[in-house]
Amino acid sequence: MSRDWKNLFPSRRMIFLTGGGVVFLGLTARLAELQLFRQQEFETKAREVRIKLEPAPPHRGTIYDRNGRELASSKRNFYVTLRPEVASAARDKQVRQAEIGDVIERVGRLLRLSDAKKRSLLQDATTPPAHRDILVADDLTWEEFAQVNVMAPELNGISAEVGELRSYPLQAAFYHTIGYVQKANEADISRMVDFELTAVGETLETPEGKTRATTVRRLYKHPAMRVGKQGIEAYGEMALKGEPGNERLLQNATGRVIDRLPSEDLAGKPGADVVLSIDAELQNFAIQRFAADPATKAGSAVMIDIATGEVMCMMSTPAPDPNLFVSGIASAPYKALREAEENPLYHKAYDGVYPPGSTFKIVVAAAALESGAMHPNETVHCSGKAWYYNRFYNCWRPEGHGTVNLHTGLQKSCDCYFYRAAEKTGIEEIAKVAKRFGLGHRYELGITGGKAGVVPNNEWKLNAPRIKERWYPGDTISAAIGQGYVTATPFELAVMCARVAGGAAMPDPHLIVNGIRVPDPTITPMGEFKPGVLEAVRAGMYAVTSEGGGTAIRSGELDPEGKLPAPYTNARMAGKSGTAQVIRLDNLRDARGKAISNDKLPWRLRDHALFVAYAPVDKPRYAVAVVIEHGVSGSSTGAPIARDLLAHALRTDPGAKKAFVPKARDLAAAESGKQPA
Amino acid sequence: MMIRKDTLLYKLTQLHWFLLLTIIALAMFGSLILFSAGSSAHDLETGLLKIDARYAIDHISRFIVMLGVALFVALLPLRLWASLAYPGYAVGVILLVGVDVAGNIVNGSQRWLTLGPLTLQPSELMKIAVPLAVARYYHQMFAAGRNGLWVHVVAFIMVAIPVGFVLKQPDLGTSLMILGAGCAVIFFAGISLRIVGGLLVLVLAMAPVIYFFGLHEYQRERIQTMWDPNADPLGAGYQLQQGMIAIGSGGLAGKGFMEGAQKELEYIPEQHTDFIFTIVAEEFGFAGSMVMLAAWAIAIVQGMSIAGNSRSSFGALAASGFVSTLLLYVGINIGMVIGLLPVVGIPLPLISYGGTAIVTVMIGFGLLMAVHLNRANDMTLRGLL
Repeated sequence: MSRDWKNLFPSRRMIFLTGGGVVFLGLTARLAELQLFRQQEFETKAREVRIKLEPAPPHRGTIYDRNGRELASSKRNFYVTLRPEVASAARDKQVRQAEIGDVIERVGRLLRLSDAKKRSLLQDATTPPAHRDILVADDLTWEEFAQVNVMAPELNGISAEVGELRSYPLQAAFYHTIGYVQKANEADISRMVDFELTAVGETLETPEGKTRATTVRRLYKHPAMRVGKQGIEAYGEMALKGEPGNERLLQNATGRVIDRLPSEDLAGKPGADVVLSIDAELQNFAIQRFAADPATKAGSAVMIDIATGEVMCMMSTPAPDPNLFVSGIASAPYKALREAEENPLYHKAYDGVYPPGSTFKIVVAAAALESGAMHPNETVHCSGKAWYYNRFYNCWRPEGHGTVNLHTGLQKSCDCYFYRAAEKTGIEEIAKVAKRFGLGHRYELGITGGKAGVVPNNEWKLNAPRIKERWYPGDTISAAIGQGYVTATPFELAVMCARVAGGAAMPDPHLIVNGIRVPDPTITPMGEFKPGVLEAVRAGMYAVTSEGGGTAIRSGELDPEGKLPAPYTNARMAGKSGTAQVIRLDNLRDARGKAISNDKLPWRLRDHALFVAYAPVDKPRYAVAVVIEHGVSGSSTGAPIARDLLAHALRTDPGAKKAFVPKARDLAAAESGKQPA
Repeated sequence: MMIRKDTLLYKLTQLHWFLLLTIIALAMFGSLILFSAGSSAHDLETGLLKIDARYAIDHISRFIVMLGVALFVALLPLRLWASLAYPGYAVGVILLVGVDVAGNIVNGSQRWLTLGPLTLQPSELMKIAVPLAVARYYHQMFAAGRNGLWVHVVAFIMVAIPVGFVLKQPDLGTSLMILGAGCAVIFFAGISLRIVGGLLVLVLAMAPVIYFFGLHEYQRERIQTMWDPNADPLGAGYQLQQGMIAIGSGGLAGKGFMEGAQKELEYIPEQHTDFIFTIVAEEFGFAGSMVMLAAWAIAIVQGMSIAGNSRSSFGALAASGFVSTLLLYVGINIGMVIGLLPVVGIPLPLISYGGTAIVTVMIGFGLLMAVHLNRANDMTLRGLL
């Protein structure tokens, strides 16, 4: 041990500690400078000129019809936001409320906001956090926007901004199918966070997942951002919305955005464009056709191109204008829409489940032939009623049809014939054929909602909640004429008709041809029928419109003047009418015990009118299903509409032209845009 | 009751409890700050209380594990650590060579070495191994009665070799830390003050040369930013400027626990690691910062008194070396956050989130306590070997 060092060490320690003291003093001095002497400066700075990274909503993808007509597009949007922390920096709640209230009052005068709107704004603005932008009003005129912009320096926290807003040029025509966008609420945001995380395979547990979730939340909180609420807008949200980017904003001491700094490096990606197979012109024609007669004020129609499976028309009427929803609809008009007896908010073509009535006889006829239970020429005597299992079942024609075979049974829609056919065939065979015709299936079309009708059989009845019973033979008799447990949506009926007309080669139906992939692997293929089965059914459907005694004999002609080019010259349609009871009329008798006829009933209790048809008869191209709610008679109310729609389709032949292909903005986005179910 | 002097229990009673409690207090404070780093009283999105204790729980569990390691180090004979000093140093240098040849590149820097399931950062190990080896070397030289200038030159070479490798990775912060700790031991070992002064003058004279030719472009940028954080508010100065705003706006008493606003806007990258002090200063203000600095001052003074009380020169020098490392950690970290030093990647020990620094620091504290427990042992060379 060196004695020299022993003596030296204490002095070295002293030098070190002195040095350490100097370091700590230096740190203290600097902290005192920053925190004590320059606190004011930094406190201001904490709120003032700073570069803010703000999520920038991407351009939302456009939705087109098959001819490239814009159904949902983006228009320029002038909007005004309020940033509460800038409107008032006061700590005292009363003072804050007063100061923010004053700003809202003054901007409210410029924009003529209602008192209720001002109150809800104040409520929102005084709820923490204060460092976010609240949407004051959007979809402003240029004059309103300019006025706010001029006044903005005196309105603390108010900014006038330009962005994009969704617009639906065809208004009500596509409300149900395309849906609409709205400001996202908490539930929407959580849903989108889940989708986004599932899509990239992250969870909230990982830091990456957390960052991603925060980005999604901030994006949907942006005043200019909207979220798809229903229809394609909701189903395709992930693809339509695009990838959000960021924008560098330079803010001054009052929080006003004084400059937008170059942000190209942070730009997002625009959303994918979506193309529907629908022909907007045909859709509009159908809507006008329904609207032309008060008797057909509510209903739906679906038309499918038999050659391609593309949906040409899918309308439900009446419908509200989706543009009303984009900036938020007031509660009174919304309540009126919800409570209207025509159910305007309801997608009748896709969500509406009706007893198919006599249109179901198509299924029973095919099943009877396919199973061999009936021979086409086998006859049944109809006396107006038939006795099965200890009760009478009535034919719709009390005086009866006399001797009926399959052909005349379909033509005249004789119930007695189909009671017998169903009894001999059995419900299991009927259900099998119903499934093969495409009933009992919710078709995935790329829009929200959608129902599957019921194709009942013994197993279904045993498992059906609230029934849980075995199948009784009498149930088969009711099913024979499409009553009882059988139900179907207009969309399913259109598929049924298309399959009957097109045969096994008919492609699966689809609505979206470009932009989002909508696979539906659960569709039951039709498969081949025995030779002659479909032909016999088609002949029966042809007789409905074209042979004396057919139920829709007045509606067969599609080209009476022979003006259409080949192969549609002098085209005729084949079809089948149906009437679906809303209530059991048997139980509703007048004072003298006679059944009450439909025209004496209030509108909402009258029978639904159905008609399915295809054309041209010899070379089927288009199949249509029409359901008129409370339209009373399928053959007299439904058939003319089906005829007009098919005639229009043959005239314009929308299916002949390939669907529009948008300029590929970003194919990758379209590919990966499938929303997890 | 008398406790027999050779039992573990006796050794435990003889631990430097004051130092130990200071460390525990600092680590607890660190957990509190990390809790705040993840949480917020008014979340930006919802306006509600948001709690995320993940960082805090990680931190405290790492600390508890490392506290066990530190006590283990403290309770083993100091002689053992002295005899491990050279082998440890040798292994460290070999690993550094290994990193150079076969290391993983993370963030453009080659610091990590994968050995089977283990991922090592040898440069971190050297923060302890270098002062230990140099202390061991002086212990041996003093015992042999040698103290010429060449003794110090050899010691400096021992320091310079690992520093060179770490600098090459490149990791300026850690190499400076190792250089600082090694040179501190040489300083404590009694190198002439005239030489120290001369070297300092030389370094200052060389500074411009090093600045223009010895540094990477990004390093020069950081130094420029320190002089003028406003020069490039989007680039290198951003973090610093936002950090200063957070600190300055904290004022005397701070904004209150979990009330910090800057963290919410995610203005400060790496706020839970190297820039953790911005949360301390913003939420607890000048007063809170002073309390934390005082705790560090206490730890450093305690460490120096342990060094002074050691009868062995190995103990005294190893302890002083580690205390110097501590001072460097705290001084550089806070200095860079408050804009007195350029930004280098040095965490604030026991407060910052992250696994590596806490391992180094807690092993160091373990050694410091071992020196304290063995203060009466002069560890002559014969006994040592």
